[in-house]
Amino acid sequence: MEKTTTAGAPAGTGDVIDAIVGLQASDPLHATRHARKKVVDATQASYDLFFRPGDVRPGDVRPGDVRPGDVRPGHVRPGRVRPGDAGLPLAERLLVALHASLLSGSDALARHYRAALAEAGADPQALAAVEAGCEADLPATRLREMLLFTRKLILRPVEGDEAALRRLKDAGMATPDIVTLAQLVAFLSYQIRLAAGLAAMKAWGSQ
Amino acid sequence: MSGIIDINGYTNQTLDWKAWLDVVDPACATPEQTAVLEMSHPKAKVSDYYLFLVHQPEILRQRSEAFNAIMYAPGGLPRAERELSSTVVSRINGCVYCASVHAQRFEQLAKRNDTVAQVFSDPRSAGVNQREQAIARFSIKLTEAPNDIGPDDMRALHDAGLSRDEILDLLHAASIFAWANRLMLNLGEPVFPEQPGL
Repeated sequence: MEKTTTAGAPAGTGDVIDAIVGLQASDPLHATRHARKKVVDATQASYDLFFRPGDVRPGDVRPGDVRPGDVRPGHVRPGRVRPGDAGLPLAERLLVALHASLLSGSDALARHYRAALAEAGADPQALAAVEAGCEADLPATRLREMLLFTRKLILRPVEGDEAALRRLKDAGMATPDIVTLAQLVAFLSYQIRLAAGLAAMKAWGSQ
Repeated sequence: MSGIIDINGYTNQTLDWKAWLDVVDPACATPEQTAVLEMSHPKAKVSDYYLFLVHQPEILRQRSEAFNAIMYAPGGLPRAERELSSTVVSRINGCVYCASVHAQRFEQLAKRNDTVAQVFSDPRSAGVNQREQAIARFSIKLTEAPNDIGPDDMRALHDAGLSRDEILDLLHAASIFAWANRLMLNLGEPVFPEQPGL
């Protein structure tokens, strides 16, 4: 059976925002959106970096890029697991994404990331805590600190402080992984709003 | 109206920003990191913000591609109105640094800053005309309650004179500042210019 997301698009292909919003190529809003091609491409490329690490597709390498053969030993594409460094495993990124979607009240994105988690496989205790919004009750691990950081960044960004970053460091995260986590949650807050706004534009256009 | 605006802790003065954790030394950056810094912002190599984010160059590259396309692409929503939305979102999220930068850009493009003073003092009633008011209201609602956005909000923008293309540009501008504000607020802090006499 072909893998599908609950949004209806085959997993691993196509534009994720179009799939989540249910934008068909025949929809006038699809043409409006894709007229801003650079935005569409960078939004999808960001998603791919966070959730399809290592999935290098034709067109990923652009003029001026460092090509795979040029890369020094030990230096790998961000998003991949580095040698000697656990990085941020895909299942943990997806747990962060589900957490951010639930905290933001985005049913569409929560469905998307829940389906992806079912494929990637997550720790059942962590998944249950995220679903219930009880990540503070998890054992004191790096994942717990990541989920608490996600809550603050999504709901109370103005309360960000140096101590929060120190807690991530103390939990064993290297600075590049903290950058990945912060960019991931910030991207999700963008994606949630983009999807909600496009859904409203679609509903308005069909009235 | 022109000059310095300082209201409710927000300012249109030029601020600096410092990262809370270690940044990449530009002298030690990889060729990939240098290329991403150069495409991100003219001053990225002396900016703590970009030197911190370039720990993950590919993620920063795509963020910068999206940001620059949303804020600077020709056509569609006038750039001053994109900056208005960015300033409103930054004011609602409490990002003093982002608000200062985009207040300045609005003033450069619109050749006035009356709306900036309104956004700083009361963003919910800001706007010198119906169109600006509609842009500010939509930006606030998308920031605070994105999943409550519906067809009525689109109609309000349409009634204020925005085309479908312009509404999409507005949605992009307001959404990308959900992203930008969160990084600025949680990875470091603004540095204010020294006040004479203090």
